[in-house]
Amino acid sequence: MTRTIDCYFWNPDLGIDETLEFTYEDIGNDIELKKPVLTIQVLGKLLDDIKKIRREYLLSLDIPDILDTIGRVTNLWMDPEYKGRKLALEVLPTVTGFSVEMLEYWGFDYFLSTMKKENLPLFGKLHPHEYREFSKLGDGLVKAYGIPNIIHSKFQPEIIGHVCAGNILGIAAFEMIMDKLVDAATWIKVPTEEPVFGALYAKSIEEIDPRFAYSIAVLPFGSDQKHLQEFLFCHSDIVRATGGELTRKNLTELAEKHKVPLAGHWHKFSFITIAKEYLDNTRARGIAELASLDVCAWDQQGCFSPQEIFVETGGEVSPLDFARMLAEEMETTTRALPKGTNSGKIQVLDGYYQYLTKEMMGEPVKIFPSKDHQWLVIYDQSSMNFDPSPLFRVIRVKPVADIMEIPRIVKPIGRFLQTVGVAIPNHRLIPFADAMGKAGASNIRTVSSMTLQKSWEPWDGRFPLHELMEHDSIHWVSIDTRNIDNEIQFALERKRLIVDQRLARDGTSERK
Amino acid sequence: MVRFPSEEWITLFKEALNKNAAYKEAAKDWEGDFLFVITPDEGLKKETVYYVDLWHGMCREARLAKHNEKAAFVFKGPYSNWKKVITGELDPLRGLIRGMFTIDGDSKIILDQAKAAQELVNTARKIPADFEG
Repeated sequence: MTRTIDCYFWNPDLGIDETLEFTYEDIGNDIELKKPVLTIQVLGKLLDDIKKIRREYLLSLDIPDILDTIGRVTNLWMDPEYKGRKLALEVLPTVTGFSVEMLEYWGFDYFLSTMKKENLPLFGKLHPHEYREFSKLGDGLVKAYGIPNIIHSKFQPEIIGHVCAGNILGIAAFEMIMDKLVDAATWIKVPTEEPVFGALYAKSIEEIDPRFAYSIAVLPFGSDQKHLQEFLFCHSDIVRATGGELTRKNLTELAEKHKVPLAGHWHKFSFITIAKEYLDNTRARGIAELASLDVCAWDQQGCFSPQEIFVETGGEVSPLDFARMLAEEMETTTRALPKGTNSGKIQVLDGYYQYLTKEMMGEPVKIFPSKDHQWLVIYDQSSMNFDPSPLFRVIRVKPVADIMEIPRIVKPIGRFLQTVGVAIPNHRLIPFADAMGKAGASNIRTVSSMTLQKSWEPWDGRFPLHELMEHDSIHWVSIDTRNIDNEIQFALERKRLIVDQRLARDGTSERK
Repeated sequence: MVRFPSEEWITLFKEALNKNAAYKEAAKDWEGDFLFVITPDEGLKKETVYYVDLWHGMCREARLAKHNEKAAFVFKGPYSNWKKVITGELDPLRGLIRGMFTIDGDSKIILDQAKAAQELVNTARKIPADFEG
């Protein structure tokens, strides 16, 4: 029997559903997506309504009440028996192409847990002059780069708009929560590739507090419907957007035309750096395990997913041997966390044949493929330039004589840098992080945690809550821990729990 | 009317807090002392710092802080923003979220005790105050 999934959400008391046309898209596996045919008139009514509910209800709530509602919604999603979560897990693998395992661990168990009441960032604005050196924040460190130059400031936004990318699950939920912390009404344009989760999440808020939820409108429409996007922009105090290069170009033009502040998060590159101290015979295997998790998470589709691994020479385990270890761990991790239907097999094969040819021609390259092309590890000594990966679990390992050479290597792509996964001892980490911050990176995270952002960390160099109220040209850089040895130990325990539990459940527990 | 900030004000605050049953209930699990730092702006010329020791729904001590005194939490903001809190114009947690105040200390604990924080402010608002400038 076909299940029909609503891809929209707004206050049902408005009564506009009866006046709207809907489209029904069959996406396979007996699932059809129901989307409204939106018009300017309808959007006008929706914006008026979310503003009214903000004024009459949201602003009357105390912050403890808002936090309580957010906490209760998050608790729903943390419960494996919650009907919304069960429905999401039935539908989202077909919609997104990610495996159930990926959606469960990374989407629900981790990402949504960052929205637990106790994890929410309370600080809206840090003062850069107090963070001119790496200083404590959360359980890590942050540093401010640049001179404050405030180009937008509105601390009580009435309407915030969001244009969400479809590569990572959960952004829409995060945006709804952030907006409520600054008492704003919300419209969200959900991505065409994944129009489901935003509406499901808004409905879960409705279960806890309907009027709170009705300050949110979830709107599925294509980017080609420029008149709708333009109308929404004109009526917003700020728009936050995530997307690729085309989205950046289109939305920047729109924002400039209507003089609407735009907080954009665009295409990024991330990578891993392993220092020689962690390449001793005792620890190298564990680091390879952790790196495999970063490569497998979200099938490398995130801006925070690694595209290369720089491995320092001079350790007991050479970069080539590390690549071999990584390949073994990729096999184990992929068995525990398989790819979904969108396997990117063509991309993996492209990478395979490209590097097979290089290897055969005698270039300093060695490939470590999986038998069924689920992943590919490439040891590549042929070029020191940063090369984008074909993604879908294709990763290059490159030797580097000194990790402090890396900031110079990646500097040409400085404005595209985002997350650097690290296994670097404490005494070398701060100078490295500082050099990477100057080069343009924003998040230094312990290897295996690249896709597991902490709620206090900046996002592309700006704090997510502050960004909704003020733009000041400061670039913030974070390190996700103050003790990398402890964090690596914790990460290893977490990784083994995820992978071993899954393999044990599937009856394939022995490691290769 | 008592002047805010002054020693007289913080003494009255302690008395009022210890009579506030709602605070006593909301803060029954709270353990920790605060420095409330009022930095100069508008009519206030000199920084004023209060030391307030809160323990399981009671205020054990509230006074002007000594030089370089330490506490588990430091809640800091300019005088003009404190004035807005005391007069009921600004919710201090909203002020924190908007960067009008900063906090040193574990903000998770503050979040968990948001209702207690709210009762602290409700108590402060009941003290008839006049302001500098």
